[in-house]
Amino acid sequence: MTSDRALVSVVDDDESLRESLPDLLEALGFVARAFSSAEQFLASDALSQTRCLILDITMPGMSGPDLQEELKRRGHAVPIVFVTANGDAGIRPRLMHLGAVECLFKPFSEAALQAALAAALRVR
Amino acid sequence: MHEAHARTQDAHFRAIFDDLPALVCLLKPEGGVELVNRCCMAFFGATCEEMATWTLADVIHPDDLAAVAAAWERAVATGSTYEAEGRHRRADGVYRWWHMTARPLTHRSGRILFWCLVQTDIDERKRFEQLLAGERCVLEMVAADVPLPEVLDALCALVEESVEGAHCGMLFADASGRTWRHAAGPGLPAGYRQAMEGRAADADAGPCGLASRSGAPVVVHDVAADARWVPRGWQALALHHGLNACWSVPIVSRGGAPLGALAIYRHTPGSPEPAQLDLIGRVSHIASIAVERSQHDAALRQSEAFLAQAQRISSTGGFSWHTVTDKITWSDQVYRIFDADRAQPVTLESIMARLHPEDGPAFSEMLQLRRLDGGDFEHEHRLLMGDGSVKYVHVVAHATRDRAGQLEYIAAVQDVTQRRRSEEALGEARLELAHVSRIAALNAMTASIAHEVNQPLAGIVTNAGTCLRMLAADPPNIEGARATALRTVRDGNRAADVIARLRALFSNRATASESVDLNEATREVIALMLAELRRGRVVVRAELAQDLPPVLSDRVQLQQVIMNLLLNASDAMSAIEGRARRVVVSTGRDHDDHVRLAVQDVGVGLEAAEVERLFDPFYTTKSTGMGIGLSISRSIIESHNGRLWAEPNDGPGATFAFSIPRNPRDPGRASLGALRSRTPRIAGNA
Repeated sequence: MTSDRALVSVVDDDESLRESLPDLLEALGFVARAFSSAEQFLASDALSQTRCLILDITMPGMSGPDLQEELKRRGHAVPIVFVTANGDAGIRPRLMHLGAVECLFKPFSEAALQAALAAALRVR
Repeated sequence: MHEAHARTQDAHFRAIFDDLPALVCLLKPEGGVELVNRCCMAFFGATCEEMATWTLADVIHPDDLAAVAAAWERAVATGSTYEAEGRHRRADGVYRWWHMTARPLTHRSGRILFWCLVQTDIDERKRFEQLLAGERCVLEMVAADVPLPEVLDALCALVEESVEGAHCGMLFADASGRTWRHAAGPGLPAGYRQAMEGRAADADAGPCGLASRSGAPVVVHDVAADARWVPRGWQALALHHGLNACWSVPIVSRGGAPLGALAIYRHTPGSPEPAQLDLIGRVSHIASIAVERSQHDAALRQSEAFLAQAQRISSTGGFSWHTVTDKITWSDQVYRIFDADRAQPVTLESIMARLHPEDGPAFSEMLQLRRLDGGDFEHEHRLLMGDGSVKYVHVVAHATRDRAGQLEYIAAVQDVTQRRRSEEALGEARLELAHVSRIAALNAMTASIAHEVNQPLAGIVTNAGTCLRMLAADPPNIEGARATALRTVRDGNRAADVIARLRALFSNRATASESVDLNEATREVIALMLAELRRGRVVVRAELAQDLPPVLSDRVQLQQVIMNLLLNASDAMSAIEGRARRVVVSTGRDHDDHVRLAVQDVGVGLEAAEVERLFDPFYTTKSTGMGIGLSISRSIIESHNGRLWAEPNDGPGATFAFSIPRNPRDPGRASLGALRSRTPRIAGNA
């Protein structure tokens, strides 16, 4: 049963999303794990099992794009959906160009999240 | 007995006659000498018999002969009293002035028996009169700006006229005082004069050097016999030109500094009479006046030339304005600045006609005020030139009183067009920069606020969605739904906190740690904004209280408020034409140990209804404003536990004022960093 469901990892330094998003993902039928930093995620066993990474852009220490870079370097082609609280829409094309599946601006709707997840899993 | 008595009387009469201190003669009816007294014989050095053969031409100075002869002939012809003045030649050949009067002694028949001629010595008076006339003539030359060499030559001539057989010369030292530079004396042998120029002016180089150095007259009775002047060669020089006596007096400036020397030379040895020494002393004094006057004139001309040059270079002119007569005098440069015709008289009307029409009212108002208060002033206005161009002029005027005690202004007027243009350009650039940086700061702040608010909003939206799903599940996940709902509440509060901290940032930042002189802070703001206000043709007057105590406050924040009030005042007057755009910034003590600052304008004023709305954020009456200035200003003043208010004036315009306590009791603190705070954990979350 557990192995049927895809693991979606959430990396965000903001507590609100880290606490709320896993519950929603579970309700949507995914397995979810939350990490407060990129370093914590890299150090965990979730790395190899994650089917989709929901990643904050601005974080203390390693940033979202830094982690994206690091994963590429390690040969992990995990689909990434970026989330950000900065309202600057200009960042989206740059991230998409670097291989992100989607970039969502907080607060984002459930529908936008579902669409992004669907796209991410299709990539696989 | 009778005969003896008569003889005695005759002897007495003869003794009196001889001893009379006058030249007395008995003349025959046609003029021949009958009898002369002893004085007369002594003067002319001749006996009565010798004199009987003389004619008028033998005794009267040739220059006086015609007038004396005419007077005598007239007396003889009419038998009336003879009266004349003229110079008689003394036995030694020297002429002296005499007054002559003769009455006819007539026989009972009316026939003239004798003329009784009495001549009195008027030489001193006459010479004195001549000298006075000569002095006056020379002084008139000095006053009439006759070139110095001509004046000095005239002085020499005057001396030569007064001292028989004399040549007069003057020597003036150069700037070092060591060499004779200028030699006057048209009557001197030219060779001697030329030889003296450039000679040393030392005390032992010649009598003039000694006179000049010692400051006392030097009399060389006999040049040939005076050994003092042998070593330096002056003796040989003088003797070569036939100068055998030299009397020299110093020429001294009014301050006592030696200028040179005046000397009288004679071809025969001799010493001056006291009167002659006196004379040359007087002449040397006149010479010093002439020389000093000439030096002052030269200095004055040079300083006038400097001034004119400086006025041209600095585009500054000078003028005076007499407030009672309204007489105005301009320097050349002012004519140039006004591009005015020098032939036309300068009047207030002609100045007003040149003023830029928009500046006219403020200018007349200012003049009106100055007539009354008589204070120094500085004013800037524009001129509208004939070709339509505009000049900016800056006037600085100092009040003085003339002899009658009437008010007169002495002023400098400077063409500051260039400077003003550069300032305008600079001001525009600065405004633009300020605008850009304000927008940039606003953008940064908006982004920061958005980030802080979006985080909890994301949580709220996600939690709400999860909650709905949990409730919709079969069976509903009530426990999970409760936890997500709690988290929703928490995130909502978190967003509210962000807003609260934002408000605190504006309203509660007073550090209240600085002792601030509100007057000084105000002056700084005015100085900072002067160019900006000038662009709006706003005249600022500061009426700052003398005894204002310092306030414990945030200096920069208070200055922001003052600046904001000033800008608002300026904006409120931007449409005012036809009267001065004046702002009065005043400070003073207020009750309860408060200090107060008020900014009073004469602008569009306020409607009573809008007074309170003014301070609402985003309320604006201006097309260009954002409407947050007054709102922020009030926040700042309230953070100082003070009060900011507005009220319409009795006349045109409005007054904005604030009052703050000298020592706010509750200094709140907040910082930008406080916006980012940890969110409190909610118990019971997953």
